[in-house]
Amino acid sequence: MRLLITGLSHKTAPVHLREKLAIAESALPQALQDLQRLGAAEAVVLSTCNRVELALSTADDVEPGPIIDRFLAQWQTSAAPFEGHIYRLESREAIQHMFRVAASLDSMVVGEPQILGQLKAAYAVAKAEGTVGGLLETVLTRAFNVAKRVRSETGIGQMAVSVSYAAVELARRIFGSLKGQTVMIVGSGKMGELAAKHLHRSGVSRILVTNRTHARAEEMAKLFDGQAVEYARFPALLHEVDIVIASSGAPHYILTREDMQRVIAQRKNRPMFLIDIAVPRNIDPGVNEIEGVFLYDVDDLAGVVSANILERGKQAEQAEAIVVAEVEAMMTRLKLEQVTPTIISLQEQLEEIRATEVARTLRRLQGLTPEQQQQIEIMTKSIISKIAHGPISELRRNAGRPEGSQAIELIRKVFHLQP
Amino acid sequence: MGESSVLWLRVAAGLYSIGLIDAIITVMRRREGLFRIALGAFGLGALFHLVSIVELGLAQHQLPVNDIFETMSFCAWVITVTFLGVYSRYKAGSLSVFIFPLVFVMTLVGALRSPVSPWSNPVMRSTLLAVHVVASLLGYAALLFTAASSVVYLFQERQLKRKQTSGFYRVLPPLATLDDLISKSLGVGFAFITMGLVIGSIWAFVDMGTRWIGDSSIAISFVTWAVYLALIFFRVSAGWRGRKTAILSILALACCMVTWLAHAQLQKRLLQ
Repeated sequence: MRLLITGLSHKTAPVHLREKLAIAESALPQALQDLQRLGAAEAVVLSTCNRVELALSTADDVEPGPIIDRFLAQWQTSAAPFEGHIYRLESREAIQHMFRVAASLDSMVVGEPQILGQLKAAYAVAKAEGTVGGLLETVLTRAFNVAKRVRSETGIGQMAVSVSYAAVELARRIFGSLKGQTVMIVGSGKMGELAAKHLHRSGVSRILVTNRTHARAEEMAKLFDGQAVEYARFPALLHEVDIVIASSGAPHYILTREDMQRVIAQRKNRPMFLIDIAVPRNIDPGVNEIEGVFLYDVDDLAGVVSANILERGKQAEQAEAIVVAEVEAMMTRLKLEQVTPTIISLQEQLEEIRATEVARTLRRLQGLTPEQQQQIEIMTKSIISKIAHGPISELRRNAGRPEGSQAIELIRKVFHLQP
Repeated sequence: MGESSVLWLRVAAGLYSIGLIDAIITVMRRREGLFRIALGAFGLGALFHLVSIVELGLAQHQLPVNDIFETMSFCAWVITVTFLGVYSRYKAGSLSVFIFPLVFVMTLVGALRSPVSPWSNPVMRSTLLAVHVVASLLGYAALLFTAASSVVYLFQERQLKRKQTSGFYRVLPPLATLDDLISKSLGVGFAFITMGLVIGSIWAFVDMGTRWIGDSSIAISFVTWAVYLALIFFRVSAGWRGRKTAILSILALACCMVTWLAHAQLQKRLLQ
């Protein structure tokens, strides 16, 4: 079997080329059927905003390249200059590429979790259309396991790489679980809204919204099943709040050090997390010096993100090592699978000869006790297994070697094995 | 006369012990435990306590503050009455975490004054001693957890304050988890150390008669217990976290070590 992956990704082609090759979800079954009709044994199509890839396997004597050429000629919407942007990867490289894509090492944001889901969805479509069920399926399901291994053995997906998600990560560092925490959103900045959305999804139990324009606060509160609070009343409620997101357009500090000292005393020093995403800033930076208060502004959050990206890079190196080891294991497995049919037919051939000869001998030697008959069985089985040992170890040793196919061919000929 | 005075005092100590249990529950769960019941028991205990003092005073025809036991008992009663007065005026319930255990231990000491007949059973003697040692050691172990968690808390807090979110920071547990661990270990540790102290005092009282109070290693145990009590009080009433908890818990741990060493000496003497 031969394996080929071809396509475009954010690394090789700009979006105006990727979109020309993109295949809509509704058109995927048709594309898979077309690939099979053109001669592919198996086919999987992955089409996301960052990559369009076709993976297929063909029989040993079928060249996969022309199948792709014919398919592209049919499917591309215009004669786009794909030359130099499309990659074609075969056997080992194809396997390695698939493992790297699944483990999110080839993603725009390394370690992002969506790609694995997209790959699984692509596999599900192919499975439903009946276009997988051999080598490609073996490699693909292994890729899912590799992705899982990378995720659990490295910290690649654990660090937030967006400002709003970094806020959630920090909140977890302080409060552990976010269930039961109260959030207050001051102002209606877009970034504040995004951070609040993440916190809401992470399970905070109560969201208060305040704004100089009360109607705007009510509007925003509806987005998170929150509660709008009069702007004049919000400082009095602060001691009930664990996380404050400030993103108002106020030109001066709306929370001073004195305010927060009072609030933290009311809270008996229970920690508070203040996120100031407003520019100019809404919260006096001196607040961070109060014990139990953690204040992060836009730059601080950006700093967290860039530290995380750096860390992800380090984790990615570990992940690459895992992928290399997995590719190695996969190749060994596939090579052995390549000689398995020959080994089986050799064993079957010898067994057939043995069984025939034993039956003939037993017919001639009448009156043997069951024990004696059993001894003959054992002896003949031992003879053929000793004969087979040499060629079988030779087959295994030559599996996957470039010059190995000659040795395999020779053994087949010597033993008169059917091709 | 004196005998029944001690009896009333022991009844008072029994009632005060409910306050001790309430304090431990409050520390561990950080919410009101048996406060209502404990407060009632405290009031009733104060009444028995008064009866005991009055009876003793009548018997002696003077204010019963002649030795450490009587003074301790009298002082505990004064604290009790003051607390009840302050509570009815200011509703300062959080003070109870400090007052309840303190009054209980002081009253207990006061109640261990008239010598009782020595051990009728040597098995009882060694069993009580073993329970005392095990409870104290479990208390020390819990305190070690408190101190270690406090230091990790301090470290994590500092990382978050300095906005350093790489490296070591990732493997440390969240502040809330550490805080919970500190509260739980503090509560459990306090329960064990108090148990060790109470059983130890009773044992020493039976074994040594009234001389027990003068022993220096026992005095050190009381100081250790007081530091522990202060740690709990500041944490519950003032919400001490971070640096202050870390320093105080390390101090308490150091006191425990001193107590332990002092007891090694004591054991030698006892075995002679």
